[in-house]
Amino acid sequence: MIRTQRTFPADTTGADLRLSGLCKTFATSTALHDINVTLPQGQFSVLLGPSGCGKSTLLRLIAGLENPTSGKIHLGDARIDQLPPKARNLSMVFQSYALFPHLDVAENILFGLSVRGTPKADRAARLHKVAAMMGLSDLLARKPAALSGGQQQRVALARAVISERPVCLMDEPLSNLDAKLRAEMRVEIRALQQRLGLTMVYVTHDQVEAMTMADRIVVMHAGRIEQVASPRDLYAQPATMFVAGFIGTPPMNLIPRNALPGLDAPANATTIGIRPEDVTPLESGAGPQVTARVMAVEYLGADQLVTLAIEGATLLLRLTGRAGALPATLDLRLPQLALHFFDAAGHRLPSPSDLSHPQAQEHDNDQYA
Amino acid sequence: MTTHVRPHSAFQPDRLLFVIGAWLLALIWILPLAYAIWTAFHPSAYETRFTLLAPLTLENFQRAWNAAPFARYFLNTILLVTMVLTAQIVLCSLAAFAFARFEFPGKNILFALVLIQLLVMPDVLLVRNYATMRTLGLVDTILAIGLPYFASGFAIFLLRQTFKTIPRELDDAARVEGCSWLGLLWRVYIPLARPTMLAFGLVSVSHHWNNFIWPLIITSSVETRPLTVGLSIFATTDSGIEWSIITAATLITSAPLLIGFLLFQRQFVQSFMRAGVK
Ligand SMILES: Nc1ncnc2c1ncn2[C@@H]1O[C@H](COP(=O)(O)OP(=O)(O)O)[C@@H](O)[C@H]1O
Ligand SMILES: [Mg+2]
Repeated sequence: MIRTQRTFPADTTGADLRLSGLCKTFATSTALHDINVTLPQGQFSVLLGPSGCGKSTLLRLIAGLENPTSGKIHLGDARIDQLPPKARNLSMVFQSYALFPHLDVAENILFGLSVRGTPKADRAARLHKVAAMMGLSDLLARKPAALSGGQQQRVALARAVISERPVCLMDEPLSNLDAKLRAEMRVEIRALQQRLGLTMVYVTHDQVEAMTMADRIVVMHAGRIEQVASPRDLYAQPATMFVAGFIGTPPMNLIPRNALPGLDAPANATTIGIRPEDVTPLESGAGPQVTARVMAVEYLGADQLVTLAIEGATLLLRLTGRAGALPATLDLRLPQLALHFFDAAGHRLPSPSDLSHPQAQEHDNDQYA
Repeated sequence: MTTHVRPHSAFQPDRLLFVIGAWLLALIWILPLAYAIWTAFHPSAYETRFTLLAPLTLENFQRAWNAAPFARYFLNTILLVTMVLTAQIVLCSLAAFAFARFEFPGKNILFALVLIQLLVMPDVLLVRNYATMRTLGLVDTILAIGLPYFASGFAIFLLRQTFKTIPRELDDAARVEGCSWLGLLWRVYIPLARPTMLAFGLVSVSHHWNNFIWPLIITSSVETRPLTVGLSIFATTDSGIEWSIITAATLITSAPLLIGFLLFQRQFVQSFMRAGVK
């Protein structure tokens, strides 16, 4: 649907978005504690976390719709946290799309240009281009109420795109669409971001959106940042037990260390993590062995998820759907290279699995160095 | 009102009472108007004789129009309602916007004061207002008739409630797009509150078109008197008890409002429904 290509002038190069020491306290609660992160120019950054963890608040601080209790926000060299929203050189797409019901599609898209007094001829040309790009050319005279959810979403995107601002903020923009449309729009938004070279800050609680779209993911939990990493690194090396238990469907098994006495682990490791697909029924080869009872099998077609009981813990195992009926007990192997160790505070310790994704690390080092 | 589903044949005394009551009220309401229309369009000989074939005439209207400076009164009233409505819309939108969207010290106390204004009968303030107008040197001006009504508590309350129903994200989106506070009010809040504004406009115009006591007290010349005051002076002094002329004058003064309402009836009813004023 997104047809023409266009790029921004290069004067925004190096305009990273830097958040330092950001705190936000509301009358009744503290939503953000000491947020420090850099969101690089031209990249797709996703703020990911469960509902209520402060993602929207952080986005609103960047947009200038709320003022931070303390801390600074820089865009490139300019400090922007004291500026009003309109002076921050960014656009925003909202969860409800926030289309003005009394204006038609063209007026909605042009709202910002009209507020800023852009010349009429310029407006018409830009509207024509953006409407063609977003597949909205035939809908320009309609009111938002006469559009489907997907079309409203496009209008909201078009309004952000036409502003030609280098930074774009989106707050759960796909959560009101059905599953099929959501999958399409994921691809479109990602393509749009890359073609326009936008610095994207995208809020979602959906890890599939985060994993498929992001250059880097900022995982948040209870007002704090848990980890900042590329999707691959996040999956391969979760920095905390929260991330390990949040990313992946189903997420990583987190087993108390004393349930696996035979395992070779550092002295301060209290929890051992292993992804369901890394547990393998015993064949041959190295790695600690465990005997487990089969509690339940969930058949998903390509895969099946097997719930196992080992002494003092349960363990999820992902097998291919072709594996036949399972015996009542299984002998398992936990490959050494798939193990993740966490200390009592939930932080990652040096683990054997650090060695198992060298190519992912190299790739990411190129991008983020 | 009754939601009971009953067989059609059953006798429904409560329903019957409702219908009779409604007709009775409607009749009582329409009778004076019907009588005014009858007398105004017939020669004075037919004031108390109702025959179907009585001759029709427009002469009463002509005589009434020429008997008093109604043209001037019309102008005064139109100036008055336009001025009051404009001032109310401007002042009360601004105040309502502040109450709906800003946090400032004393906000709740101020809003309570606005609500108290809703409870105070305007007539209680007649003497006080007269003294104020005299201090301002405004006695016997059209401005003085309207001034006490500019900051309408009702309008502030109504618009604040409407503004509060506007989704916060629309407000946020407009601000990110570059709207100032005033731009936000003008481009988003006022267009979305149009049904409320229209409903309030009707209430305000009809109220000030028909307002009598305060204009009677504060005005004393042809140049300032609105229609209501002009009509009452005309009816008491100039023409004795010639009913046909008085009713013709009454019809002249209330006609614009009646015609306006009939023309825009549908829009008004819809606005009232949407604005929640019933
Ligand atoms: N205006 C506000 N006043 C008080 N508390 C708020 C306000 N906005 C957000 N919060 C609180 O801040 C926390 C984070 O909210 P939010 O940023 O909306 O979470 P998320 O977008 O991640 O679901 C929540 O506990 C919420 O109740
Ligand atoms: Mg949110």
